[in-house]
Amino acid sequence: MVAFRRLPTRAPYPRILTAVPHIPIERHTLPNGLRVILSPDRRTPIVGVNLWYDVGSKHERPGKTGFAHLFEHMMFQGTANVAKGEHFSLVQAAGGTLNASTWMDRTNYFETVPSHQLELALWLEADRLANLLPAMTQEKLDNQREVVKNERRQSVDNQPYGTWDEKIQELLYPVAHPYHHSTIGSMDDLTAASLDDVGEFFATYYAPDNAVLSVVGDFEPAGALAMIERHFGPIPANPKRPPVPDTAIEPLIGAEIREVVSDRVPLPRVYAAYRIPVFGTDAFDALEVAVDLLGSGRASRLYGRLVRERQLAQDVTVMAFPIVGGAAIFSLWATARPGIDHESLTEAVLGEVDLLTDEGPSDVELERVQNLHAAGIESGQERISERADRLSMYACLFDQPERANSEVARYEAVDATRVRSVMAASLRADNRVLLTYLPVEGDQPGTEEAA
Amino acid sequence: MSELNNSNRPAPSAPRPYRFPDFTRHSLDNGLTVWLVPVAGSSLTSVHLLIDAGAAAEDESHGGVASLTARLLVTGTRRLDAAAFAAATERLGIEVNSESSWDSSRAGFQSLPQHLDAGMALLAEMVQLPRFDPDEFSRLKAERLAAILQMRADAGSLADESFIKHLYDAGTPYRRLAGGTPEMVETLVVDDVRAHHATHHRPGRAHLVIAGAFDGEKALRFAEQHLGGWSGSGPGHRTITPAAAGGRRVVIVDRPGSVQSELRIGLVGINRYDPRYFSAAIMSTYLGGSFGSRINRRLREELGYTYGARCGFDPRRAAGPFSAAAAVQTEVSAPAIAELLVLLETAGAAPPASDELRQAQDYQIGVFPLRFETTGGIAAAIEPIATYDLADDYWQTYRDRLEAVDAAGAQQAAAELIRPTELLVVAVGDASIIRADIEALGVGPVEVVPAP
Repeated sequence: MVAFRRLPTRAPYPRILTAVPHIPIERHTLPNGLRVILSPDRRTPIVGVNLWYDVGSKHERPGKTGFAHLFEHMMFQGTANVAKGEHFSLVQAAGGTLNASTWMDRTNYFETVPSHQLELALWLEADRLANLLPAMTQEKLDNQREVVKNERRQSVDNQPYGTWDEKIQELLYPVAHPYHHSTIGSMDDLTAASLDDVGEFFATYYAPDNAVLSVVGDFEPAGALAMIERHFGPIPANPKRPPVPDTAIEPLIGAEIREVVSDRVPLPRVYAAYRIPVFGTDAFDALEVAVDLLGSGRASRLYGRLVRERQLAQDVTVMAFPIVGGAAIFSLWATARPGIDHESLTEAVLGEVDLLTDEGPSDVELERVQNLHAAGIESGQERISERADRLSMYACLFDQPERANSEVARYEAVDATRVRSVMAASLRADNRVLLTYLPVEGDQPGTEEAA
Repeated sequence: MSELNNSNRPAPSAPRPYRFPDFTRHSLDNGLTVWLVPVAGSSLTSVHLLIDAGAAAEDESHGGVASLTARLLVTGTRRLDAAAFAAATERLGIEVNSESSWDSSRAGFQSLPQHLDAGMALLAEMVQLPRFDPDEFSRLKAERLAAILQMRADAGSLADESFIKHLYDAGTPYRRLAGGTPEMVETLVVDDVRAHHATHHRPGRAHLVIAGAFDGEKALRFAEQHLGGWSGSGPGHRTITPAAAGGRRVVIVDRPGSVQSELRIGLVGINRYDPRYFSAAIMSTYLGGSFGSRINRRLREELGYTYGARCGFDPRRAAGPFSAAAAVQTEVSAPAIAELLVLLETAGAAPPASDELRQAQDYQIGVFPLRFETTGGIAAAIEPIATYDLADDYWQTYRDRLEAVDAAGAQQAAAELIRPTELLVVAVGDASIIRADIEALGVGPVEVVPAP
């Protein structure tokens, strides 16, 4: 079942003999357009069910920000066959875990259950795709609207630095661009969401031909496929979905944008963000390597130089957002150590980015991040929920679930020249947002989004 | 709710059995216990070294030294400085972690099997011949002090810290974070770390857990070779006798401008050896440990006061806290406290409904294999057996003990463990808005303190 791939040893540094398991992939498409990925693994008697719907906050129209996520909450509010709250309690009483999440490009729903409860998980997912609206009420919407507003308060408005990603999106993408607004949305738009919006959104985007279903773990494929056909098969496709929103954008911002935010934070923090080529491209792969060179581990450049050697930063974080439309985001931040001013920190952070762009990574540095990456992929794939989510992701975004098996190879194909060239092309001053959080003087409220 | 059509719900098929992996343990001459947990089909290996050198082992006058010692360990050995140690481990795809809780210090890593030997050699070097460089000490101490500032800016973390601070009396170390207060950390010097290490980081009561893919004989030989020369036995943890600071009352930690209040309501809970451990676990599951639990259902799904509400115990060698927690919209702070109090106070008044007891048991029994999906999870599962001296068949019989909890036992646990007259309410929020409403609840004396 598990195939091992060995990579050649390359002097002079010891090379990891990468043994990332090959994930078996069996693909099917139901007549109604539902794409199905089956990946059996009989080692532990548990199974993961994971659905990606090709709808996210980029599909929201003006005045409706936050709706895709609010709708995700409504998917747990019961159907013609399942009472409010019962979706959760049925899965948990079955010995399972479950959740869902919404992001710019997609919405996912997932359960991990003991394998003898596979059909329950499949039925629950099919049932809410078929029978959500008859049980929808204003009371449920009002309740979940308050829950989501409290989610926003907890994760954004009452959180130190909590507005950072919302502000980065606003500054990096022009007004009216589908990525200009955050997935959590604005309080005003959440207030305005109506029951009609729920019905329309459901009818438009929640159809089997707009989804991928992955099943990973302890099951027998023919039996699982029969269950899927039984429960999802009768659900009609939606042939009239509107075109995908236009995410086309200039690859570079054209000029540096700086913004300073006063917040109730004890230490200044500096964020830098850039438009970069989208997830799925060779350039994005190379920028993921740059992320790790700069920020992963204690031997990374930013940790080594800014946190350990120069002691300018309390912590550093670097990430690339896997976004598929127009332009993705490369972002990094550093929190100042007490007594360090934000200008020195900014200069030092940007200096390290420029230095890596100029000189490129050494062989030792590349070796380090490749080995960390391979071990990290292996570690992530220990969880069937993680495997299922990646299969759904690659199937939903690229119609290529087998990309889940080439992550290590794609990463290791990146050489120093490619790192330098993508960094030079994207991580430049005229393509940069610099967002600085500074402590407010005295005991004042932080800046909060209009609520 | 209109009537439901339940007729088409699929029934479960026959469950496939799950068994926690068999393990063996071996004692080295120096007292170190080596636990070998081979996991069929695994392609990773997890190594955890557990030492009875956590915060419970440190002298209160050196609070935070256990945590700082653990953190300083990864900054190198006599042979390798901090940068060289990071490079040597990360080149193997290994990130060594080292941390300390109340009950133990833990160092470890996860690696592909072919790097197990090299990783263990570096881990062994790290714990026996640490560098404890004064500059690295100063850096990590400053980082720790700044991290506490950052934590206190976060309302949820501040609520957790404020709750234990007001819950326990002045003689109970549990009233502060295991990592120490800023005042404690401020006084520490590098020699304190060296002394803590020399005294407590000894093999006598230590445990080395190896889980996943490895050759057992070879791993054992390797442990002998690299850790066999380590010697001595530390004094281990002190006895902590927790006591509450006071009875039922309210503390508002004033955080002006907050759009939510972070609530914590609870009392001194149970220790890890309590005979009511399993009935308390099941009881807290239906009370506030699952989505459909009473607390989350009421505060989130019926009232919309919060994104999520929960409760739970934190058993340690001595009695850790029990608390219910929620972040609620500022305007509903008082009614949210009232709702939580009703749910807590009535928990022991009647036995649980048969379906909520059944669901709590099914949930805890069913998610059991999910906890052991990863080699890291399996290695971590040995830790309570090693730390609390539980029976070797602990996990093999774990589900039977959950199953054995009955309604009377769950009710009794609630009645005995959630005592209304001892409930402490902590609210981190804007006192100018929430104070009057909370006082009007008549819960008990209300004290307002500034945020630190």
